[in-house]
Amino acid sequence: MFSGIRVSAFLAWKSIQRGSRGTLALTIMIIALIFVNLVFLPSIISGVVVTFDTQSIDFDLGNLVIEPREGSQYIDGVDGLQKKVEQIPGITGTSPRITAGATYFYRGRNAASTLYGITPEDERSVTRIADYMTAGEFLSGGDTDAIIIGATLAGTEGVEEGGLPSLEGVGVGDSVDVAYPNGATRTYRVKGIFETQSFGVDTAAFVTTREMSRVLGLDNQASAILVKTAVNGREEEYKTEILSYGVQEDVLTFREKSGGFVEQAIQSFNIINAISTLVSLIIAIVVVFIVIFINTVNRRRQIGILKAIGIDQQIIINSYVLQVLFITAVGALVGIGLNAGVTTYLTAYPLVFPGGPVYPDVEASAILRSIGSLFGVSLVAGYIPAWRIAREDILTAIRG
Amino acid sequence: MAENLTRVYAMGNVEVRALAGVSLEVAKGEFVGIMGASGSGKSTLLHILGLLDRPTSGSVTIDGTDVLALSDHRRTLFRLNRLGYVFQDYALIGELTALENVYLTSLVRGASKDEYIERSADILRRVGLGDRMDHRQSELSGGEQQRVAIARALVNSPSILLADEPCANLDSQTSKSILDLFARLNEELDQTIVMVSHEDWHKEYFCRIVTLRDGLIGDMVECRKA
Ligand SMILES: Nc1ncnc2c1ncn2[C@@H]1O[C@H](COP(=O)(O)OP(=O)(O)OP(=O)(O)O)[C@@H](O)[C@H]1O
Ligand SMILES: [Mg+2]
Repeated sequence: MFSGIRVSAFLAWKSIQRGSRGTLALTIMIIALIFVNLVFLPSIISGVVVTFDTQSIDFDLGNLVIEPREGSQYIDGVDGLQKKVEQIPGITGTSPRITAGATYFYRGRNAASTLYGITPEDERSVTRIADYMTAGEFLSGGDTDAIIIGATLAGTEGVEEGGLPSLEGVGVGDSVDVAYPNGATRTYRVKGIFETQSFGVDTAAFVTTREMSRVLGLDNQASAILVKTAVNGREEEYKTEILSYGVQEDVLTFREKSGGFVEQAIQSFNIINAISTLVSLIIAIVVVFIVIFINTVNRRRQIGILKAIGIDQQIIINSYVLQVLFITAVGALVGIGLNAGVTTYLTAYPLVFPGGPVYPDVEASAILRSIGSLFGVSLVAGYIPAWRIAREDILTAIRG
Repeated sequence: MAENLTRVYAMGNVEVRALAGVSLEVAKGEFVGIMGASGSGKSTLLHILGLLDRPTSGSVTIDGTDVLALSDHRRTLFRLNRLGYVFQDYALIGELTALENVYLTSLVRGASKDEYIERSADILRRVGLGDRMDHRQSELSGGEQQRVAIARALVNSPSILLADEPCANLDSQTSKSILDLFARLNEELDQTIVMVSHEDWHKEYFCRIVTLRDGLIGDMVECRKA
């Protein structure tokens, strides 16, 4: 048995070494491209998920969101609740937000979007918006006549943002009129502009809680409290933890809060991915099958001779299987190289999605899965033609 | 060793009787020539003796083994260990060098590297190809290729060397050197040889000449003492 494998390896190696270089290179290249195709799409999909998660956590929702219980519009006793939650180990910050739909007026232009009331110090402990100011400054606690505006909402002179709310060119120091849902109107000076690349955030604006509570007549109340945890990815555990501290309000993870949107997107992506994987693997089967089939048909006579001089057909079949394994292994290596190239490029020049820039996220499991399925597929596709020719009658094979 | 062999090819409704009942016994150390007109069944007989084909009826016994009773796998092993076959058109493996062609079967038999290289090189030298070992088939002349094929057939010291018109594609000078080689192997190593030929001048080399006519033995001449 062992010497059989040795002979198979010997024949396979000589055939690779002295056979057609062109065909070999082409086959390896095709396998490599199929490999890239198998790894690339999943890496983009998981990149989208990573981007969405980090953007949501960093700019929009924090890790968890506490919302008013069923039937109420606001959370009452915000200070107490904040204190209660912040004492939980692993929770690094909370930020109460008041949310209102507002209309902004600037030089005869108007736009409607979300206006948040925040406590600047608290907000800094949860989101990173303050680090993403492109002009001016973030709010400070005492501000009552200041507003900071997202880059999309601020807009650019003369550019309509294709349906997104835009004031087309507001700058730091300009005055903007804001109409609240209760009919009140205030004029604010633009203190800063921020850009996070999350379109939901970049179309919004922020004033201080102090100001917004006064306009809306609220006291120690909030529409939501964002919660930041020390590590990402353990939101479910913290949710249980918070509830166990006797919090009566609704607690949602950022995933739950963003609703089915991401889940749905991921599901659709996964369907696309499954189809693409299937097609790639079918192409791999066909290519390997054709290559080995042509190879064996061309060598029918040689296979007949090998059998005639006493070489077992299993040795002959194995020599083709080993060739396929070699081609697949080299193909996968080249594929890993190509994929590293594509990934490096896309990391330097990321694809921009509505949720933010997407970097390919190559998971080791995706690579292993692709290598595994490529090997599985090529083994089958290599074995069958070799087996069919090798069990042919010796004289028929030798006559050609 | 071969008894009452028949081989019938069914071609649609027509039956071709390639062998109609051939009985033949070859003793150890004999050099038997099989002759006869084209289509008389020489190759068919040799294929059956070489375990490349099965007769329609009859029996074949080699070294006391009823080879027809063996499974395909055992027949392959039998070819590997006991038989050497030389084809009319050399039938070398193009991707291998002369030396590799010769030692391939030793590799299957699990010989050690030193052993099979030594032995194969030795046989190649014996057939006069000591300086052509690393040449591939495309870099060898017809006579050289045929000698590589003979070396390959001999490398495992087979019980019988079977050769089907080994000189058919060679000029008479080269043919003579091949036949001289056979005669020498026959004499020096007591190698049993069964060879198909249709050239009259080959007769002087054979110990015994079996002439086939329409699938039957027409003539059996003892021409030289073994
Ligand atoms: N595979 C086959 N199918 C049908 N008939 C065959 C087959 N092989 C050989 N024959 C027939 O069997 C007969 C004997 O053929 P064989 O090859 O043994 O002749 P031969 O004596 O070797 O002739 P030659 O000297 O031309 O090589 C011929 O009539 C041939 O047509
Ligand atoms: Mg013939």
